[in-house]
Amino acid sequence: MQITRRGALLSAVTTFAIIGRARAADTIKIGVVTPLTGAVAEPGRIQLNSTRLAAAKINAAGGILGKQIELLIEDDASSNPGAVLAFSRLAQNQDIVGFIGSIRSTQMNAMAPDMLKLGKPVMFGGTDPTLTHQGNPWLFRCRPNDSYSARVLTNFCLTSLKLKKVALVHSTDAFGTGGKNAMLENLTKAGVTPVLVQGYTNNQPDFTPVVQAVKQSGADVLTSYFTNEPDCAIFARQLRQLGVRIPWVGSPSIISPVTTGLAKNALYGTYGIADFVEDSNPTAKAFANAYRAEHKETPDSGWTYDGMTVLAKAINDAKSTEPAKIREAILSIKKFAGVEGEFNFDKNGDGLHGYNIVSNNNGKIDYKEHIEFTD
Amino acid sequence: MNGLSTSVWRGLPQAGVAAVIAIGLAMLAPDQGYYLNILMQASTYAIAVVGLVVVLGYCGQISIAQAAFFGIGAYGVAIGTVDYGLNFFVAMLIAVGVSGVFGLILGLGSLRLGGHYLAMVSISFQQILTLVLTNWIEFTHGPDGIRNIPRPRFFGLSLQGGHAFLALCLVAMVLVALFAWRLKATKLGRAMQAVRDNDLAAATSGIDVFGTKVIAFGISAVLGAIGGGLFAGGFGYISPDQFSFAESIVLLTMALLGGVQSPFGALIGTMLLIILPETLRFLKQVYLAVYGAAVILIMVFLPDGLWGFIDDRIRRNARAITLPAPKLPLLSQTGQMSAEKVLEVADLAKHFGGLKAVDGVSFAVRRGSVHALIGPNGSGKSTFINVVTGLYVATAGKISFAGRDITTLSPHQRNRRGLARTFQNIRVFRGMTVLENVMIGAERVGNDVANAPAEVLTRALAALDFVDMRADAHRMVGELSYGHQRYVEIARALAGSPDLLLLDEPAAGLNMTEKVELGNLLKRLKGHGLTILIVDHDMNLVEQVADHITVLNFGRRIADGAPGDVLRHPDVIAAYLGEPRHEVA
Amino acid sequence: MSNFLQLLFNGLGIGAIYALVSLGFVLLIRAASVVNFGQGEFSMLGAYLLVVFFNIFGINYYVSMALSIVIMAGFGVIFAYTTYWPLRFRGGLPVIISTIGASIFLENLVLVLYGPSSVQIDGLFDADGIQIGDVFLATQYLSIIVIATILVVLQYLVFEKTLLGKKLQATSQDKEMASLLGIPVVFMILITFAYSSAMGGLAGMLVAPLLFVSVNMAGIIALKAFAANIIGGYGSIPGAILGGLALGVIETMGASYISVPYKDAFAFAMLLLFLMVRPQGLFGEKISEKA
Repeated sequence: MQITRRGALLSAVTTFAIIGRARAADTIKIGVVTPLTGAVAEPGRIQLNSTRLAAAKINAAGGILGKQIELLIEDDASSNPGAVLAFSRLAQNQDIVGFIGSIRSTQMNAMAPDMLKLGKPVMFGGTDPTLTHQGNPWLFRCRPNDSYSARVLTNFCLTSLKLKKVALVHSTDAFGTGGKNAMLENLTKAGVTPVLVQGYTNNQPDFTPVVQAVKQSGADVLTSYFTNEPDCAIFARQLRQLGVRIPWVGSPSIISPVTTGLAKNALYGTYGIADFVEDSNPTAKAFANAYRAEHKETPDSGWTYDGMTVLAKAINDAKSTEPAKIREAILSIKKFAGVEGEFNFDKNGDGLHGYNIVSNNNGKIDYKEHIEFTD
Repeated sequence: MNGLSTSVWRGLPQAGVAAVIAIGLAMLAPDQGYYLNILMQASTYAIAVVGLVVVLGYCGQISIAQAAFFGIGAYGVAIGTVDYGLNFFVAMLIAVGVSGVFGLILGLGSLRLGGHYLAMVSISFQQILTLVLTNWIEFTHGPDGIRNIPRPRFFGLSLQGGHAFLALCLVAMVLVALFAWRLKATKLGRAMQAVRDNDLAAATSGIDVFGTKVIAFGISAVLGAIGGGLFAGGFGYISPDQFSFAESIVLLTMALLGGVQSPFGALIGTMLLIILPETLRFLKQVYLAVYGAAVILIMVFLPDGLWGFIDDRIRRNARAITLPAPKLPLLSQTGQMSAEKVLEVADLAKHFGGLKAVDGVSFAVRRGSVHALIGPNGSGKSTFINVVTGLYVATAGKISFAGRDITTLSPHQRNRRGLARTFQNIRVFRGMTVLENVMIGAERVGNDVANAPAEVLTRALAALDFVDMRADAHRMVGELSYGHQRYVEIARALAGSPDLLLLDEPAAGLNMTEKVELGNLLKRLKGHGLTILIVDHDMNLVEQVADHITVLNFGRRIADGAPGDVLRHPDVIAAYLGEPRHEVA
Repeated sequence: MSNFLQLLFNGLGIGAIYALVSLGFVLLIRAASVVNFGQGEFSMLGAYLLVVFFNIFGINYYVSMALSIVIMAGFGVIFAYTTYWPLRFRGGLPVIISTIGASIFLENLVLVLYGPSSVQIDGLFDADGIQIGDVFLATQYLSIIVIATILVVLQYLVFEKTLLGKKLQATSQDKEMASLLGIPVVFMILITFAYSSAMGGLAGMLVAPLLFVSVNMAGIIALKAFAANIIGGYGSIPGAILGGLALGVIETMGASYISVPYKDAFAFAMLLLFLMVRPQGLFGEKISEKA
């Protein structure tokens, strides 16, 4: 058969049309609410990259239910109204089967009513324990919540380090206050009264009053909930300058590459609890290597990677995109090796129940142990 | 829009229509989700921005604390309904009341300060409030915020649903806009604009400048709180970080973009700045930079914002006002001088540190006379006028006006007794029309028509008729020539039926023709028996009109009497070091 | 006692930072009657320039500082043309708002170019500080205190004792008259902006090692510097430094002895107190308007 030019052109156009339509029909859409602008745009960037990495990996292995994942991303502008608008914009798209939500509890709280109304699964990272105890069946947490962080910190101080004069320094924002409340609860349960509970407002240029308070309290161990890395670094430096050398175990910001890069030797010898530690398990290591290969930097969190992976697994397990079935599938996930630990979803939607302890060994983050709670 | 209709129903039909449209819009909106959220945010923010229109646009006071008042409203509703189980509207009422009180307190801060100082006061208030909201955890729930804020029932109708609550927000916005629009053309609205344009002239025109500023802040705080309360109900969750300094800047930008002079500007600005970033989401990080650049561009090219630009076009087509007006009442007095002392100063002194600008001056101005106060430059004439009108506090001595001691009264209190003045550097209210300027004079407390809006209008027109400026009544006063602005200033004083009219160098800056016209005007006023104290250099003018002359030199009175005697007095000639009949160059 | 001394020294240190930033403000107020809400962003830009030259290009620290200062001066001129010049006859409020817009623009411009991460940069000296008994004196704080003092003295001398200073003051008080007297008004204004911008940039470079470089680094500091300015005496140069030091010390003491979370509130409460009771600040002059 003679191939005329017109014939070739026609078949080319038709082929592209078919492929094009096929591609459109063949994607499974996941909504992502993430900070692209505003105060937390930096961690947001890493989280989005991780989501993309997970999606690419899943797509390479055949996607979800045979379709390729397409991520629809909206900027929450690091604010509550911004998050609500971002989510509601995505919610208009009926094709979206699930969401990756926010790491910030205030934003999750702001979006929660709309998420409840929409009735589709949301994988999120905020650590406020109440988010999974609100009676909202669509929120699934991919990081251990703050009740666990406080238990681990308390456990580590009292049992591993065997030190009882505990000083607690915490940010007055939602994260820090939640951490403080959880710490007080756990210390009280263990019969210990902290020698110092000191709050501070974010973005301080000078932490002298806080350091002096620590010094004067006679504490032999310091625990902390710092939200922002520069705050943690400035505090660390001033702590050392003013001669405080007691053991210090802090919330995850203490071992973030940003913080350790800023504070350098001021943070040597400190401990941190971290949900994400590269060396804590093989999945984490593989993720970190893959992330580094792609972005030439080390990631500081892996929950969005886990969130994407868990969601995909659940949809595949359920063999359906129906929200109720996905929910059932997620809650059935037990002993699933994620980046941040082993996922065992409880009836509230919490997937992780433990933390890693790491130490800062002259700049190198050494994985020490994992503390898990099964109750 | 001209300030002419004084009907109680003004604007209500339009508002009614707007409200109906608003409810219709709300019903058509999807029940949840994106558009609903945007409109709710836009309408509640718009209410807060109208608050800024009042305090900044009308009254010229900078407030960078509007987000704080918004926050008080939101937290009041949230704490009231969630923690104390109060009815939504009751909680809102309390929140608005609390906010209003704080607004008044912030306004008190304007007592001695303006501009950047006031900006700092409002910023400080804003910062402290954010800290309190975050740290007073027992009361405000701290950084966790407050969730599950309920929506109310309205006379049995549930406003739970998205449609219904949005309808509430939109109707509230319409009512607030109506309120602000009508406010502008009321006595209070004019007073605010006068304070904005020229607070010294406002004070001497009888306006309690400080009180007006305080009220403006109070109103802006109330409106901010209404917006905040509705916002809390709309979004169901609030936390302290939403009511920070950054949000105050956002609200300010919205006001400026739309046009801070008008509630319609507020609506435009808010819509644009909420919807625009949403449509610009694709620009991502860049859009905030664009936002900042836009603020600069707006200030440079569109200082009255988008609405101001539109309104300007409308104004240009405004037509002359043909309302008939009865003659100015002072015209019914006879041109007789009497022995009654309208103004008497005794040993009046004003010292600035070591400088004795006015050094023990005594004389009296008699009713019906034209009394001139002259003297070489630096002799203390302007200082004297300023002390008599209350802009300076006298160091010593006594001032009596119509038999009563006014030495310690504030400028506006003196005006309310019937003392009016004009200024050497003309002080008119540039942001208002000629008619509005004169109406401020007519509605001064103490004037016979002060409490009858329709008569205020006609009195103002009568004053304009007297100075032959009726044709320009609808024009912005800044468009007029210098000489004509002077007439407006005089008309403003005349409209208040003053017992004494103080003219501070009225001929300053006028050309020859204008001076002749001024002279004729003064003669006409004299002919109708108005008591005038005139300070001037122009000897021709003074000789033509004065019944009595007092001469100052180095802060002291060196001559006082009939023009013929005074002008031949050797001390006076010596003081001037020149011939009294000719203008010294 | 050593606690008190430590708090005092660090309070003075942070206060010197406020004073340094405040000097840039004062200059614009004295010489151009401009209230610049973007002054903090000048500091931020200066710090980023230092990062570019020192961290990225590896140029010698002091040379990098010098280069950055020169560029900041040039930037000041551009800023004058875009943000101030078109509004110069319109009174204070439009200019204030315009500078607010500029600050938003600059912050987000740098955010786009550089990203939101904080960057670490070395201090002027290798040694972190000097230990005297129980009190630690950070070298960066010491250098800031010293440099701030020198700059204040210099600025004061220039303004009060040199012809240039008189010309600058004349320009600020009455542009038309100054121009009629033969003072090149435009040039004076440009000098003012250039110097103020360079000063702001220098302040940023000096605090960068302490606070780390990020787009938000100067926000709250600029606000407090402005407050310090008012407390010390609006438009007064000695007032700027004394106000800054006082603010730093009171804030630090207040935080330590009363409440740390409300630390920022002390600064603003102090400001409010001054504004209510003595608005001309410690050294300012009462300003009255001629009727």
